[in-house]
Amino acid sequence: MSLASPSEPDTDPAATGIPVEFWARCTTQFQAELPRQQFETWIKPLKLGNGSAEFPPTEIELIAPNRFVQQWIRERYIGRLESLAAEYWGSPVRVLVTHVAPADTAPRTEPTLRKAASAESVVPNGAVADAGYAKTRLNQEYTFETFVTGKANQLARAAAVQVADNPGTSYNPLFLYGGVGLGKTHLVQAIGNQMIRRSPDARVRYIHAEQYVTDVVRAYQKKAFDEFKRYYHSLDLLIIDDIQFFNNKNRTQEEFFYAFNALIEAHKQVIITCDTYPREIAGIEDRLISRFGWGLTVAIEPPELEMRVAILLRKAESQGVVLDENVAFFIAKHLRSNVRELEGALRKLIAFSKFHARDITLEVARDALRDLLRVQNRAISIENIQKTVADFYRVKVPELFSKKRTADLVKPRQIAMYFAKELTSLSLPEIGESFGGRDHTTVLHAVRKITEARKSDNQLNHELHVLDQIIKG
Amino acid sequence: MNMRQMVLGLSEGAPPTFDNFVPGRNAAALAALAALGTPAAADRCLYLWGEPGSGRSHLLTAWRTRHAGAGHCHAIDDVERLDAAAQIALFNLYNRARAGDAWLLVAGPCAPAQLTLRDDVKSRLSWGLSFEILPLTDDEKRAALSNRAREHGMPMTPEMLDYLLSRARRDMPSLIALIDALDMFSLETKRPLTLPLVRELLNQNQTLPL
Repeated sequence: MSLASPSEPDTDPAATGIPVEFWARCTTQFQAELPRQQFETWIKPLKLGNGSAEFPPTEIELIAPNRFVQQWIRERYIGRLESLAAEYWGSPVRVLVTHVAPADTAPRTEPTLRKAASAESVVPNGAVADAGYAKTRLNQEYTFETFVTGKANQLARAAAVQVADNPGTSYNPLFLYGGVGLGKTHLVQAIGNQMIRRSPDARVRYIHAEQYVTDVVRAYQKKAFDEFKRYYHSLDLLIIDDIQFFNNKNRTQEEFFYAFNALIEAHKQVIITCDTYPREIAGIEDRLISRFGWGLTVAIEPPELEMRVAILLRKAESQGVVLDENVAFFIAKHLRSNVRELEGALRKLIAFSKFHARDITLEVARDALRDLLRVQNRAISIENIQKTVADFYRVKVPELFSKKRTADLVKPRQIAMYFAKELTSLSLPEIGESFGGRDHTTVLHAVRKITEARKSDNQLNHELHVLDQIIKG
Repeated sequence: MNMRQMVLGLSEGAPPTFDNFVPGRNAAALAALAALGTPAAADRCLYLWGEPGSGRSHLLTAWRTRHAGAGHCHAIDDVERLDAAAQIALFNLYNRARAGDAWLLVAGPCAPAQLTLRDDVKSRLSWGLSFEILPLTDDEKRAALSNRAREHGMPMTPEMLDYLLSRARRDMPSLIALIDALDMFSLETKRPLTLPLVRELLNQNQTLPL
């Protein structure tokens, strides 16, 4: 573990006497107050830094491993930290949260560029490493540098960077979940590529769960399980994509269970992706599911508007196409569900502009994407949203319009309003009108409430996630 | 009657190629399709969709025929009918294509996002290039039928074309089959192509699933 644990003060020369004791107590307190996973993710990686010299101190410094954790602590835990500190010293203490030098935020040299740079760079696409690299089944285009980050995936990215920097010792396994086309594969392969870049001899393997199932069947037919086991148990990093494909494949699950245990015990990194969070995976043994939660479970959400725009601009640039921001906004506004769809639209726009030898303007984008956008717009209606949400929460659509304010109705009603605001271009008064003639302030209240609640309520967030996918079809 | 049914059956046997496809408003889609499977392609995968009769199956078959020798070229029609196992196979095929190991052409009745398939398959199909194959307008059909008839050496008058377009099914495969049948009918009966002859064939074939 690269981060000194607060319970080992001798490893941290910056800490002196009392603050160290405070921090030890503080972490114990948080450990008791927070779910284990949150504690492990946010509090445990913090390191005590230099505080003020006087006694009692007026401020203490906590160092986060990266900017994301820093921000998270500032937003969520600073109040609790300061009140614990005040309690400990009996006077107000400011808690400063800083982060370590941002090694992972500085763009690293692309493998292709590094090839010429130095002899030690046995890089993924270098001639020397070709055969070895091919065995990893990684795609070298999937790197952290090419991954567009936004609110929807910054947590996942921060976790992935952590894992890439400290494979086997930070979060093991890393369980990444989210809907289709949101970049799970990109992110987990970025970890693999990063690891290969750092240690070209690392035994990394990316495999899609479906392929793993096939391999198990093949090993079974050839009676080659020893070989199969030896291979998988010898890896430094195993990335298994779309684990939901394991459902009801008992033999596969059993083999994976052994591989998983062997790797984790040897402090080798395991990374898993899935279309849903562990508790929801169907047809997978409990013993596996509980193990998936040993490390860190983190979600990738669908990208918000600004991020969709950023993705389009980045993608266009990588293809040598200059995309006007207005055009990017136009596409991003209309295509909301996943990154693949965005990229497909961009691809189509570029093909169209080349074919007709027209520059990419807003008008050309409208022409090129007319068929795709028409379908999109048709798909999401407020009726569709109301029906989907009502079905999901097992209430009747007319009940959403009624004046009844029981808890079982208020929640779906507010959620339906929230989606109506997010996914249609209707005005708030129009939305209010569609919900039994409610005032637009009621709609506004509902939207704010759900927006706020989903930040802290994981269950709700997950439900919204699922609903979002259903509504968008 | 039997003989005429056979006549129609024969004419349906003409293999769909790029040459006997009338582009209409689908020039961009055709360009992308022509490139698919060659170094000129912008992408490894192409999805075509359109209403029945729009010509997507025609194009699919034409492409499949052109690349018949190439083991890494895959064409899948009516994607919405794939069962669970076949969808997973398509999923794997798609990933292989993305990785540069295959070429993939898929056709279906609607845009990728609208398909009732696995989400992961759907989103992948929407990832690549996709084109709606637009059926020909009536004017384009008129021009296409007229060309086809001229190729058979039997020029059609505007009245005959109007008659066909107002009485017969107006998807292109049916119409082209009808022109071919008219040609045969005219040869068999040794009568020149006239409006009465057209009318007669159509009336006689009303029971046919044309």
